[in-house]
Amino acid sequence: MRWTSGPLEIARRGKAEGFSPQIKATLERFHEPASLDILKNSPIDCLLLSWAAGLPEDAVQQKSAAPLVAAARQRNLSVVGWVEDKADPQAAIAAARSAGLAAVAIPNFKGQTDFPVIPWGDRAKTPWDAPGSILAVSGNVWPGVAMPGNGSSAGPTGAPWVDSNGWFVQMARARVSKPLWMMFDPPAKGRIFAAADYETAVCDAEITGGRWAISLDESVRAGLIEDNPAARGILDRVGATIRFFDQHPDWRTFRSLGVLGVISDFTGENFDMSGEILNLAARRNLQYRVIWKSQALAQPFTGLKALMYADKEAPEAALRKKMMAFAEQGGLVIAGPKWGPEGTPADPGFDTQFAVRTFGKGRLAVAKDELVDAFQVATDAQFLVSHSNDLVKVYNAASVGCTLVMGSPDGKRELVHVLAFASGWSSGARTVWVHKKYRGASLWSIGAAQPMRIEPVPADEYFGSECRIPAGVPGYFALEFEV
Amino acid sequence: MNVTRRGFIVGAGAAGLGLVGPLRLRANAPTAPVAIAKCPGYGPEFLSAADKLFDQLGGLGRLVNGKTVTIKINMTGEADMRLDHVSAGRTTWTHPRSVAAVVHLLDKAGARRIRVVEGAWAWAASLEEFMYLANWDAKLVLGAAPRVELVNTNLPYRGKKPYTRFPVANGGHLFPAFDLSTAYAESDVLVSMAKLKQHLTAGVTLSMKNCFGCSPTTIYGDKLPLDEPSPVPYGGRGEIGHAGSRQPPKSAPPEKDPKSPREAGYRIPRFVSDLVAANPVHLAIIDGVETITGAELPRDNYTLPVKPGVLLAGTNCVSTDAVAMAVMGFDPMADRGTAPFQKCDSTLKLAEELGVGTRDLKRIEVIGVPIEKARFRFLDHVGPQTPVE
Repeated sequence: MRWTSGPLEIARRGKAEGFSPQIKATLERFHEPASLDILKNSPIDCLLLSWAAGLPEDAVQQKSAAPLVAAARQRNLSVVGWVEDKADPQAAIAAARSAGLAAVAIPNFKGQTDFPVIPWGDRAKTPWDAPGSILAVSGNVWPGVAMPGNGSSAGPTGAPWVDSNGWFVQMARARVSKPLWMMFDPPAKGRIFAAADYETAVCDAEITGGRWAISLDESVRAGLIEDNPAARGILDRVGATIRFFDQHPDWRTFRSLGVLGVISDFTGENFDMSGEILNLAARRNLQYRVIWKSQALAQPFTGLKALMYADKEAPEAALRKKMMAFAEQGGLVIAGPKWGPEGTPADPGFDTQFAVRTFGKGRLAVAKDELVDAFQVATDAQFLVSHSNDLVKVYNAASVGCTLVMGSPDGKRELVHVLAFASGWSSGARTVWVHKKYRGASLWSIGAAQPMRIEPVPADEYFGSECRIPAGVPGYFALEFEV
Repeated sequence: MNVTRRGFIVGAGAAGLGLVGPLRLRANAPTAPVAIAKCPGYGPEFLSAADKLFDQLGGLGRLVNGKTVTIKINMTGEADMRLDHVSAGRTTWTHPRSVAAVVHLLDKAGARRIRVVEGAWAWAASLEEFMYLANWDAKLVLGAAPRVELVNTNLPYRGKKPYTRFPVANGGHLFPAFDLSTAYAESDVLVSMAKLKQHLTAGVTLSMKNCFGCSPTTIYGDKLPLDEPSPVPYGGRGEIGHAGSRQPPKSAPPEKDPKSPREAGYRIPRFVSDLVAANPVHLAIIDGVETITGAELPRDNYTLPVKPGVLLAGTNCVSTDAVAMAVMGFDPMADRGTAPFQKCDSTLKLAEELGVGTRDLKRIEVIGVPIEKARFRFLDHVGPQTPVE
């Protein structure tokens, strides 16, 4: 849990708009050992304590934190010092070692030390290869339905504009196996956050295999210090959500069963385009699998219906050959304008930025011009791949986005995560259609003592089966199928 | 004008009556037989029931042999909306198997080319894709006959002429003409394949109201440019069709009277009656096998799923809708203020005024199951908030 407190935070935030005596008092109270009482009966076991920011207050922060750190250790809480990018990393490490911290989190750390360091960085420049047993990533969004002004924002087709970090977690999990901490805070202005919002924030990271470093807004923090029941309820709900996912550690080993493989080096401009394609494809419930270019030659394309290659540079010859073989055998390859001239022109059936050509048993969709609009690329990709290849659909779930279909490593279980992103969303009767026929499913939801048994029924006039989710099931639930 | 049960009145005949007053048009509005059948489901029984209905109307061959036939189906609203867990084909949409059955019968009757069309909601791709999104097996429809095409009429028609102007016969109530997909202009026979439903704004939605969806939302939809049609649809028809808060893009004919009431209960019935006067329906098919009461889309506290088990068809859309209203337990001669038109004008009356057809049951021959034996009173099956008075 992000534990902002003490003179360093007061100095950092003191001149910011909206800083108030109450916030200052809360920062002071959170620096006192007694504040740890708010974590009684909570699964939260690690504090990310403000440690160094390259400010004069760093030293006084570290010194004044000693009682808090000691009390935390007595309660079996790990304390990690959070270091900002202008701080001296070696000084921060030395102070942390001396204070008995478990580790320090340092941005883009490249130095040498025997002290545990958690590297962190903005997601556009994630320090993928930095040593450390955990990776922390900043620059994320607050998950939910985007709400500029007073109402929910709508995308160009009228669908709710869902903000999610799930795509990034999927991308990261395809590259590194170490635990991933997602760093983001509730937006400072504009709205009051309810327990359901915090639950969504936890779920968004967890369902893809990440973990949100819990960060509470100032009104909740102040309420917790005052033992306000509403604030207590929010932290309890956060704790229940964490416990729920802790009870399903195997789910973290599940991987997307997506039909579209997105190949990229996810670096620089390619990250901007391919990352955004992942983000927007997830919003459209287009199930994808992230394939890092460096791993593409070694990975089988089994189960995929289509591949997308949107990087600026042409792929190396061996990868291109493998992708062309995929098309020749019946797959679809979607690529930028430099892909090449192979194939016979075909009618795509709709107006698209891609020229479609048949090639062997499959198709090539090659952009007519440079790819500049990730929204349009994701939209076109979904139509090119076709909804006839959908894996899941959720009915009566207007605010649901980024639904995930995942499979266990042994192929014996499949999992569908359904998450309603809108705050205060009421849960009526929903139906989940899935692409296969299953004998039975377990419906898992937060707060339920046992999973609910669901009997899938054959889809009406279509293939696959439908799971009828009764009214009253909360905004997030998972369906676990035995294959 | 009396019509024998074996004779077809093609709706187009109703459109060319010349400029005469509404009352005279109403008195002379054409009529045509309407056939009713009981039909318990969407399996083989639907095919045989529909086949029998068409035969009772004189046979499809006389209408469609050698012609290009366009079937306007109903897939209103969003693809992920359901009443409880029930699929849309059993509540608010034409059922996919019923579409396939009608396609098959049209082919058997000699149709040269069959197009299944719909203005899919805010949908920038093909109708086939929308069907897959909606969990319809598009191949079921495409495979029901050899020459079947699917067209999303909310998109510019592919070719040199995306839209064609359709003047409204006898002047129209709201619009003098519409710009519609050229797919309709290439059609010889238009079939409106509708669901037997109430409508919160228009009272009922039957074969005529189904044609509201013929108006492309690139011209009559929301969030449009001022001058030209939008290249893709962005939403429903709230701004122009319902509220009248703006005119269509300048490329299309504006309303006749921009100072007329800006009220959906006034506008939608006129919009719809104008549309069927401009783009005549030659065969109306109304699916009351399974449907909902209370509204046109699933709405909490208004709508209930029901199984009236009835199928209707006729060659005059006003007369067919009139018989359908009677089957629903409503008086087709009802006007504003009386159920189901408590807060709106009657589309049937307005279409009758344009000379499209009669709603007077005394002038309509009913074939097959009598109305009283097919009747399924919708107001006996209402949600807690359905307006019944």
